[in-house]
This record gives sequence, structure tokens and C-alpha cells, in this order.
Amino acid sequence: MKHTLFKIIALFFIAYSGAQNIDISGNVQDATGLPIPGANIIIKDSNRGTTTDFDGNFTLSGVTNGTTISVSFIGYITKDIVITNNYKLNILLKEDLAMLDEVVVVGYGTQKKKDVTGAVSIINAATLEDLKPIDAAQALQGTSAGVSVTSPSGSPGGNFNILIRGVSSNGDNGPLVIIDGYAGDLNSINPSDIETFSVLKDAQAAIYGIQGANGVVLVTTKSGKKNSAAKINYDAYTGIQETTRELPYLNATEYALILNESYAANGQALPYPDVSGLGTGTDWQSELFEQAPITSHNLSVTGGGEKSTYYFGGSVLEQDGIIASDKSNFNRANAKIKLGFDLSEKLKFTTSANYFNNNRKTIGENALGTPLFNALNYAPTYSLDQQDTSGFLGNEVINPLSQIANTYNEYSGNSIEGTFQLEYEAFEGFKVTSRIGLKSYDDKSKTFAPIVQYGSGKVFNNDRSSVTQTQNTNNSYTWDTFATYNKLFNDKHNTTFTLGTSAQRFWGDNLSGTGFDVQNNSWEFADISLANGLSEAKSTSSYIYDSRLSSYFGRIQYDYDSKYLLSAMVRRDGSSDFAPNNRIDYFYSATAGWKISDEAFLKDSDVINFLKLRASYGTLGNNVGDDLYRALLSGEATYVLDGSLVTGTASGRVPNADASWETAEKLDIGLDINLFNNQLEIVADYFIEDRNDLLIENFPISGILGGGAPGAGLPTVNAGTTRNKGLELFLNYKNSVSDDFSYGLSYNVTKIDGEVTAVSNGNISEGGSFSVGQPAIARMEVGQPIGYFYGLKTNGIFQNQAEVDAHPSQSGLGTAASPGDIRFVDVNGDGEITLDDRTNIGKAQADYIMGLNFSFNYKNFDFSAYMYAELGKETVRNYERDQPNVNRLSLYLDRWTGEGTSNSVPRATVGATSNKLFSDFYVEDSSFLRMQNIQLGYSLPNAVTEKLGISKFRIYTKVNNAFTLTKYRGYDPAATNGDAIGGGIDYGFYPISRQFILGLNLSI
Amino acid sequence: MKKYINKIKGLFLLVLVLATNACGDDYLEEVDRYSIDSESYFNSETDYYNALVGAYDLLQSTYLNVILGEIASDNTFCGGESATDVVSWQQIDDMIHTPVNSELKNLWDWMYAGVNRTNFILEFQDKTEFDGKEIIIGEARFLRAYYYFELVKWFGEVPLKETRFNLGDETSLPRSPVADVYALIEADLTYAINNLNYTAPQVGRATKGSAQALLGKAYLYQNKFLEATKVLDQLITEGPYDLVSDYDTIFENDNENNIESVFEVQYSDAEGAGFECLQCSEGNVAVGFNGIRNYTGPTFDSGFSFNVPTQEVVDEFEDGDLRKDVAILDIVAWAAANNATYGEGHEHTGYYNRKYIARQGDLNTGDQNLTNPNNYRAIRFADVLLMAAEAYNRGEISDSKAQEYLNRVRARAFGAANDVTSSGATLTDAIAHERRVELVGEGHRFFDLVRTGRGAEIDGFTANKNEVFPIPLEEIQFSNGNWTQNTNY
Repeated sequence: MKHTLFKIIALFFIAYSGAQNIDISGNVQDATGLPIPGANIIIKDSNRGTTTDFDGNFTLSGVTNGTTISVSFIGYITKDIVITNNYKLNILLKEDLAMLDEVVVVGYGTQKKKDVTGAVSIINAATLEDLKPIDAAQALQGTSAGVSVTSPSGSPGGNFNILIRGVSSNGDNGPLVIIDGYAGDLNSINPSDIETFSVLKDAQAAIYGIQGANGVVLVTTKSGKKNSAAKINYDAYTGIQETTRELPYLNATEYALILNESYAANGQALPYPDVSGLGTGTDWQSELFEQAPITSHNLSVTGGGEKSTYYFGGSVLEQDGIIASDKSNFNRANAKIKLGFDLSEKLKFTTSANYFNNNRKTIGENALGTPLFNALNYAPTYSLDQQDTSGFLGNEVINPLSQIANTYNEYSGNSIEGTFQLEYEAFEGFKVTSRIGLKSYDDKSKTFAPIVQYGSGKVFNNDRSSVTQTQNTNNSYTWDTFATYNKLFNDKHNTTFTLGTSAQRFWGDNLSGTGFDVQNNSWEFADISLANGLSEAKSTSSYIYDSRLSSYFGRIQYDYDSKYLLSAMVRRDGSSDFAPNNRIDYFYSATAGWKISDEAFLKDSDVINFLKLRASYGTLGNNVGDDLYRALLSGEATYVLDGSLVTGTASGRVPNADASWETAEKLDIGLDINLFNNQLEIVADYFIEDRNDLLIENFPISGILGGGAPGAGLPTVNAGTTRNKGLELFLNYKNSVSDDFSYGLSYNVTKIDGEVTAVSNGNISEGGSFSVGQPAIARMEVGQPIGYFYGLKTNGIFQNQAEVDAHPSQSGLGTAASPGDIRFVDVNGDGEITLDDRTNIGKAQADYIMGLNFSFNYKNFDFSAYMYAELGKETVRNYERDQPNVNRLSLYLDRWTGEGTSNSVPRATVGATSNKLFSDFYVEDSSFLRMQNIQLGYSLPNAVTEKLGISKFRIYTKVNNAFTLTKYRGYDPAATNGDAIGGGIDYGFYPISRQFILGLNLSI
Repeated sequence: MKKYINKIKGLFLLVLVLATNACGDDYLEEVDRYSIDSESYFNSETDYYNALVGAYDLLQSTYLNVILGEIASDNTFCGGESATDVVSWQQIDDMIHTPVNSELKNLWDWMYAGVNRTNFILEFQDKTEFDGKEIIIGEARFLRAYYYFELVKWFGEVPLKETRFNLGDETSLPRSPVADVYALIEADLTYAINNLNYTAPQVGRATKGSAQALLGKAYLYQNKFLEATKVLDQLITEGPYDLVSDYDTIFENDNENNIESVFEVQYSDAEGAGFECLQCSEGNVAVGFNGIRNYTGPTFDSGFSFNVPTQEVVDEFEDGDLRKDVAILDIVAWAAANNATYGEGHEHTGYYNRKYIARQGDLNTGDQNLTNPNNYRAIRFADVLLMAAEAYNRGEISDSKAQEYLNRVRARAFGAANDVTSSGATLTDAIAHERRVELVGEGHRFFDLVRTGRGAEIDGFTANKNEVFPIPLEEIQFSNGNWTQNTNY
């Protein structure tokens, strides 16, 4: 050891002794003649170098004649130049279409893209620039293979769920989001402040241990560049939004006729004996939907000096809803600062802070009895301000416009988050980094329920006004310290060691209270301080939480001659969420890569520029649930004694002493290929993930344990296993045909097969509801996809009594069938149709997800289009109230009215039928293709901008969600609440809006 | 050499920094959380009282037992909005229910939740001493008996335990014979009788009389007629209970916990409730479900038109029986007389269960259909008298005593003496008839028919099957072969 060390030191002295120094200077430009600021000039085999300034110029003193300098910049092919007395260099860098030298953040370190051995998707600022997403999560949709982004709502400020390689867990499937090193959330980050996303999809994420099983999204925010003058960017857009769909519904005359028919069918008097004057009546949907504005302003200043960098960003977004814009709207403001300082040659300090403010008003959505649900079910014969006082439409359907008028709420939240990071390079190759990332999010909300009457029996009637106010604080920090040591042994053996520790804490509290008898029954007076009415029931509540992780991790990355790549990592996590004797676990993974294109037989290939085979395998955890191991006294224990409510004590959820985290076992085999001068990039992956010890919430256990008590609940048990396997393919083609014309095409597709492979004790977990009072419709069961829809299978419509008689009796469902009723399949073949004949009739998770992106630049015009598709999935049509008099889809115009009239839509009758039971009649194919974004831009030519003293001026027009191709009848085939069991059930999703945008980019 | 020193420095730095950052596993112990949990409770009298309130809470979920006890019987149709409105109830009405029935599962779960909350107290009964503990223990044992009695009524043999059930009990504990379940019920109630007073510390809590009445009922269900007469007689003679003179006032909200109430389940309209947790409601959920569909008019509030009386039960009333117009609302006549309107639901008969339909005048806290404050008169003194009469008659102990108790009930019902003088089997039938009309709408009918071997009078009833309800299929599956299904299900 000692000898080796001396040899190495001796080598250095030898290198120094041959020095004959000269000074050189030069300029670095790209192919279009524009200077490249911030390019790196490094003297090979030394650690000396410099970077170019704002104008692309550099000087470098003390260069030995005959040595090689290496000129590099991200996105360009590195150029090596031998110094032969040419003191003035003009260097032209070519754009690297393969981006192989692009640096990828992989967790506690970075790697060159060409050396990455895990499955990683990268989305960079250019994509974000194109998409201009409202929420950063949207930028991942359709742009990265294996990643899908879903939303339960198109309402302003609605949340997004990210899924990486499908649904493995019945609990939390959201990935870990790490922003500049700390655990955070995407919604608080201004998308324009983001430099790159790295999405770790495979076992490489094992370095994040117990938090890594759902994948990891690493976000790097923008920084300034050293030695560059201040660059000011201003982006703004404004636009109009409208609904993407209105559902075809019956008009007043059609409605009245069908109602008459359904009453006549049951021998009852006609509700509309005279339909002649009804006309088309009120179109409740068009009354609800409106056009609404959206605007955004974004300003950033970035730059740097010799030893410092800075980035300042500020943004404001205002979005109104396409339903009731004064009751459904969102605005957001962000302020961001990021600073970097070289405190000394060895010590670097980086700090960032992000302030986030958001305000939101909402109307009820995606549930029975919400305004959109009511708009679909309210009678078109009623006038705009008419209440259903007779209860004709049942107790749960009311005038949607009145309902919105009586909806009052507001929400606002603020967060401050950021990092402090110190990086110390003790000696060459050895770096110690310590950083702490903090986030504090406080929010408050207020909801006012006025006194209101919609007619007798309506469940929305409220006799006593109340105002509920809630405040939450949520805090977290991530404190990481890690050291990396990189060393090249014997020119070929390149090794990097990483060793570190991490402490994380998530804690917060909640306080909520309700005041009664709001003065003047008015929103203006709606505040607990002014609402003096008391309630006998407890009207305040609170909770606290505190969850901690204490972790150690280590990693070895090794490559031989940069050709054979290996890495291995281990992480040890302790989580306070579990019982003291059961809170420590170890997670491991190993990855390997082989750059086949570096082998002699491929080295000179004209076709294959790059070919790498890689594989990874390892275990990762999913830390879900806390305090599962003990019974807190959180049960409801309220009874009435002496005529008043008395609150006592009872156990909450049934405990599970053995509860632990979920463990994922992931295998990934991938190929990275670049062909035809790196114009075509192909990334293909095959993956299998087994998710073991699934923590199943509300795990069905015997009722004798008392889980059915008020405020109790079933335990969360590690009781299942799922397997997801699939294929990902990513293709990216770029071609610069001439200086004036270039184009690109990118396509990705992911095929996922998910299956539940074990549930302990043969249990079936259920969730998701349909209509009212029907059994749960989504299940987790061995051999089936997680959360598949469980219902009756149909086989057309009974055309006549003979067909009814020939079929097994359906009276076991509640009513015997008549001609015109749905014919259900006797799945279990027992000669009668009962609920036991329910079977798999669909699932919410898509078989295929894909994205397609096309762009071209012609002279000063640029065009881009992003499409997204999901194929092989179903959604449950559940926005039809099961009540005889409500309005319905135009679909029912094609109902069965006699033999041979319809074999798909049952007859209209108010009599008892089994047609309303959950069956595949209510399950629709919701495969879709959506044109998410089409954009056309025009930039002023350089000659003009130079005269104006600016570097860029671009205007663009854009349409978001221009169209959606689907057979699905509802508002949005893409919408789902994201639940593994019970997702994909449509109560009338708030539709996503189509947006017509006009925007401006200005850089100085 | 400089490099070497740097390396040492570097390593030192690494150790230092890692050591500072690494908090160790103690870090995990310092969490800021609520520390009291189920195993560290029962440290004061208040703790016991609070847990007792929790044990009472499940009584409110017996709204389901009451409404289903009627729907299952020949007194009412299921009703509701349509034939598929609460399928589990519709099936029970038609006696086509199977082990797959979410409402029977609820009933099982809720009654066992009650058992567990009482067992929670009883498991820790020796932890902390204080004066008057026997009252709390006595009430806890009364409540355990109440919940087990419901379970044995509905399901027959059920797993039995005197401490909280644990995971794994479902695969090891057998379904105890009915006699063993009753033995525990009798022991619990005997303890309660010996330790409770006729007056409870708070209105709504169980008394000595409650325990006596329930014990009498438990004896009657086992045909232990002599034991039944003893305990019921003791209650009738020593207890402070009497019939309310005007039957019409018994079920009104301003006459709760009246002199006739031997035990009453307490409800309130002070707290909101939702469909996602019906057992959490402080209101009587059955009342909203029984209510008149889309009603507008005086006196009543609207509801969901379930549990509608049949013409047969309406015809069961004798002429001159003052109870008929109290128990049965003829909605057609009422609407005509009061200018009221209403909707017609599934299986509309024109009648409503007037004792327990929603009335105006409460707070209508949302969802107002689930928060009706009407207390359920679980054991009325009239029931006690009729049980005693039945025990004297069927036990062939004293028909004259039976007549005395029966005629006491009839005298109030007709506003004047209207005595039955028959004896033997004719008297048995008279008492059964009286139970039906006196207690219609109160959830007893199905079990009265079954325990007297008359289940077959219910449409669709299958003998040797429908006397008890099926153990929920889920429970059979959980037991992993430990429990067998009830006969013929």
C-alpha cells in the first residue's frame, strides 16, 4: 500500500518536472457561430483548466507545449486539441446529438449518461419549456417511458399522481421526490425553475432504501453559471380555457318521452302527458361550463462571477375554473433563489430557497351529489332557478347552479423550502458533502355551510349554518452527509466509493374547529370568531404526527476501461413508523453494464455508434403507514347520557404488532443503442418487479376483533404480493437537414402486466363503490390485476319471453327478467344468475402507455406536438343516478323498445329490474389518445435581436389538450383518483380544459 | 507525503462528519406522538367511565338489528327506492339471503365491536381500584350480555370470549354452543342485577331493571319459563316501571326515557353523520330509512320509505285498538287530510311505521336522514308484561297470572278493560297476537316467530334454515375451516 502510494506521488513529480510553459487564449463557438459561455477547457491528465466567459473567450497560462487540452460543454462533443505553439485558438464545438456526456443525477452523486447502468429517464429544461406545465408533474406525462401521470380532476390546482412502472402497491404508489437533495413535493416548485428530472425506475434507486420502491424522481433546479453576465429571461402567456367535452344528454322532449315510456312500461300514469311545449329545455351542462382565463408570468435572472453563481426566479400563475370560475380557481406565486460560492478552492457552498404561495377555491367534484353529477342528472324540463321541491328526482339530486351558489370555501398555503450544502474536496477525488434540506408548509382552509333548503327530503338541506376552519403545519428536513472517493487505478480500473448517512424527519400538526350560526347566513361573516352558536357535539379536533428515518448507505461503482461497468450498493434504514423491535432493514442492489460498442468488433461501425447492455437487480422498500403496531385511543366513543352527548374513549384501528414496510424486488435488463451518427437513440428495457409484504390497509380480518366499531377500522397487514412485468421502448430521432431545417421525433411505449400473486389466507380486499347500496366493485385477488372490476357479465338483451325462459333464472338478483332486460352470463354455471356470477369485467390500469413528440425548426419558426395515449384500460360509468326520473345519456335513445330494436341498451321502465346492478354495461373502454400540446413559435432573427440588444425574442401560440380520441363516453378517459383498488370510477370527473395560449419568451 | 496527510485528514473529516450526522437509532425513539394507547389505559375512574361510554356507543348501531328484525318478519316489506335499493335488505325481506350479505356482515361486526369494547373494560377490571367500580363493571357486563344476545339471536352458535379477541382466534376458537352463549349472558346479567340499582347514575345507562328484563328475555328465548317468570315477576313487582297511560305518547321525542322504558337506546341529533360510517351516527339511522319518501306536510319529515307495513299486519289490529293509528300511518288518508304530498317507493303499501318515522322539530343536522334523535325503546314494560304472561302460560305455571299481565296491556290498548279469558293454547295464541300488535315496528317480530316455531308464516321462509341467519361468508373464510356455516346456507 505504502509503496503504491509513493509510486503515485513520484509519477506526479515526474509529470511536473517536464514543464515548459506557454500562455494560450481562444474562443469557443457552436456551429451557428454563437459563443459558448461556460465551456470547460482542461489540460489533459491534470486538474488544471478554466471556463469560457460570456463571450466564449478564455485564457490559460502555463500550458506545456505538446500537451492536449480538452474542450467540453454539456450537449456538445468534447474536442481534444494538441497545443503546438498556436497561442490563439478558435474552437468550434459540434452539438452532440447523443448527449452521451450529459451528466445524470443518480442519487448521492452524478454519472455520465453513457456510464449509467440503471434504468433512468431524463427530462430536461427544453421539454419543460415546450410543455409549460402548470404542475411540474405534468412534464413527465408522455415524455418518459414507464412513467404515467394521472389526475382525478381538471379543476384548477388539482393534484397529480405519478406512477412509475405501474401499480405495485395497494397503498401508496407515488415515487419519492428529491429536490436538490431533500424530500419534497413537485407541486410547490415552479416548473420553470427546474433544470432536469432524473427518474430512477429500477434497483439503482436502492440507494434510497426504504423510500425507493416506487421509484425516485430527482429534481435539479436551475443554477447560474460561473463567469457569465446576468441573463434575464421573461416568459409570459395568457389564454382562454374551455371544456374538452360535453356529454350527449337528452333534451327536455326526449327526456319526457323516455320517462313516459318507462312509466307506461310499469302500468303507471304518465308524468308528462303533454310533451308538446317542452322543446329542448335547459342544457345544464352548457349552463355550468364557461370560458375562463389563464395567465402566467415568469422572470428569472441568472449568472455568475469567478467564484460564485446565482439564480433568481419569480413567477405568478392565475387560473380560473371552467365551471363556476368565481368558486373554482387557483393562483400560485413562487420566488426562488439559488446561490453557489467557492469559499476556497476546496470548499464549495450552495444554498437555495423557494417560497411558494397558493390559493384555491373549489366546488365539489367526483362524487355523488356534486355539481357536475347533478348537472348530468337534473331534469332538463326544469328552469334555471327551479328547485325540485316535489322530490321528483329523489333525495340526492338538486339544481347544480343553486348548489354552486351555496358553495363557499377558500384554501391557502405557504411553504418555504430550501437547502444548505457544503462540499469539501479534501484531496483529488475525495469529496465530502453535507447538506440539509428543509421544508415547512402551512395551510389553512375555511368552509361555510349556509342555511339552505332545496326541497323536502333533499340531503343537501341545511337548517343551521356553520363555518369550519382548519390549519395545518407540515415540516420536514433531510440531512445527508456523504463522502465519495474516485480513483483510477492502473489507468483502467476506475472506482468510486460512496459512504454516507441520512436523517429525515417529517412532522406536523392540525387544528380544526367549527362555529355555528353564522351571522346573516353570509360568507362575509363566516368566521368562528363571529359564529357564536355552540354545538352539543365536539366541534374541534386536532392531530400530530412525527415520522423519522435514520439511515446509512454505501456504494461502489467500478468500471474497467470504461467498458465493463459494475456497481453495488447497500442501505440500512431505521423507521420510527414501526414497532421498536421491528424497524431496521437493509436494502441491496447491484448493477452491471457492458459497452459493446467499445469492443474491437464494433468500434469502427458506421451504423452502431453506441451500444450498451445493462442489468440491475435489488431490493427496495416502501415505507407506508405509521403506528400500525399499536392501538391508539382514537376510536369514536360518543353516546347520549342525561340527554346530552358524552364522549368517552375507545381503541382505534385494530393493531398489527408485526407491521413492517413493503419490499420490492426489481430486475431490469436494458439496452441503450445509438445509430446512424447518433441520430437515432433507442433505449429498451425489460423489467420484473415483485412487491412483497404489501401493506394492505383495511385488511379484511374477522369481525370478532372489533374492527367495525365507530372510529376503529381494520388493521394494516403485510399480506400480499404483486408482480409487475413489462417492456419499455424509447426512440428518439433527430436530424439537421440543413442550417435552416431540423426536426425530431420521439416515441415511447410501455407495456405493463400487473398481477396479484399472493394474498395471505386467500383474502380478498375490496374497494370502490358503484351507485348506491351496491357491493364494492373493485378487488385485490390472487391471479387478477390489482383493483380489477368485479361485476356481472352481460350477453345482450332479452328480445322476447322465450329467450328469458331459455336462460337461467335471474330472480336471484332481486327481480326476474323480462324482455328488454339485460341478459347476464351464468359464469359459474350453476343454472341460476346470482351475485356469485360476478367476474373480472375490466381494470383501471392501462396495458400500454405511450408518448409521441414531434418537432421541427424551419428558419425562425419552431413547431412541436406532444401526444399521450393509454390503451387497454376501462373506466366505470358511475355518474348516472339510479333513480327513475333523472336525465340520462343520449345512449338511451337507442334502448330496447321491442324485439330486434337493441341488443345493448335495456328497456326503459320504472319497474324493478336488475339492469342497474353493476355489470359490464357500466364498464367502458377508456383507451385514449390525447393531443396534449401543439405549439408554433416564431423567433426574431439574430440580426434583429442583436440590433435590439437582446438575445432572444420569441412569440408562440399553443393549444393544450386540443383533442382526445376515445370511445369513452364520460368527460375524461384519463381521469382516475389514483387508488389502486377503487380507481377508475367516474362520478363525473371535472373535465380537463382545452387551453388556447398566446405567449412570449424574451431573453436579455 | 502531503497527499498522505491529506488522506488522513480526509478520513478524519469523514468520520467526524458522519458521526455528527448519524443520529443513531435513539433518534427514532424521540418521536413526538401521543403516547397513551390501549395497553397503557385504565389508570383512573375516569378512564373506566370513558371506556364504558365507548361500550355504550355500539348500542346505536343496533338500529340495523331493529329495522332488519321487522323487514325479515311478516310485518313489513323492505321498500326503499327500487328493487335494488340496499340489496342485502331486499334479499332478507324475500328470505333469499345468502352468506354474501354486507348488512349481515355489518351486524356481525358491530355486535362483536360492542363485545370487544365491553371485554376491553373487563380485561382490565382489576387494574385500578375505586369506589363504585362494581357499577361500571355491572353495566359493562350488561352490555356484553346485550351484544351476545343479539349475536345468538341472529346467528346461533357464535365464538365466545371474555377478553378481547385476538388475531388467530378466528382459526382456533370454536363457535360455542348456544347454551354456552346463554350461560355467559345469564352470568353477566346476574352479576349486573346484583350490583346495579333501579336508578342509574345517568339517564340512559343500564339499571338493575334493564338487566332483569334482558335476563327474562334470555330465559324466554331458551324456553326456561320458570326462571323467566321469577326474574320478570321480581321486576314487575319491585321495579319502578309502569305502563304509560296514553300509548300515543310513548314514541314521541318529548316522552323519552319514560316510566315504561326498562331499557332505551339513546340517540341525538346534535352531531352530523354520513353514509360512509352509519355506525358512527349519534342519530337513529333506522328512522330516516323508515321515513316517508319525499314528504312535504305537517308533523313528519321525509325519509327513504323502507320497512313499510304490510296490509296483513294492519289487518291484525282488532277493531277499537287505539294502538293501530299510533303504530301505522295510512299515508293516503293522512295526505288527504293534511294537504301533504309524498312519493311512492318500491313495494309501496300506503303504510308507514309511524312509531319510528322522522318527525319535525329536531335540528336536522346533516345528513338529516341519519341524525334523527328518536330513542329506541328497546325493552318496554309492556314487553316485560307480555313476556311474563307468555312464560306463565307456555310454562304451564299459571294461566291466570298470564291473563292478568296480558289484560293489563290490553286495557291500555283499548282505553278500557278488554279482557282475554281463554287459557292454554288459545291463550298462547292471544299472547302472540298481542305481542305482534303491541310491539309492531319495534324489531321483535321475526325472533318471536322463530323462537315459537312459527317462522314458516313468513313468505319464503325455509324451515331448518332461516331460523338463524348465515354466518357472513367472509367470516367462514377467515376461520379457515374452523367454523362451519349454519345449516342449509
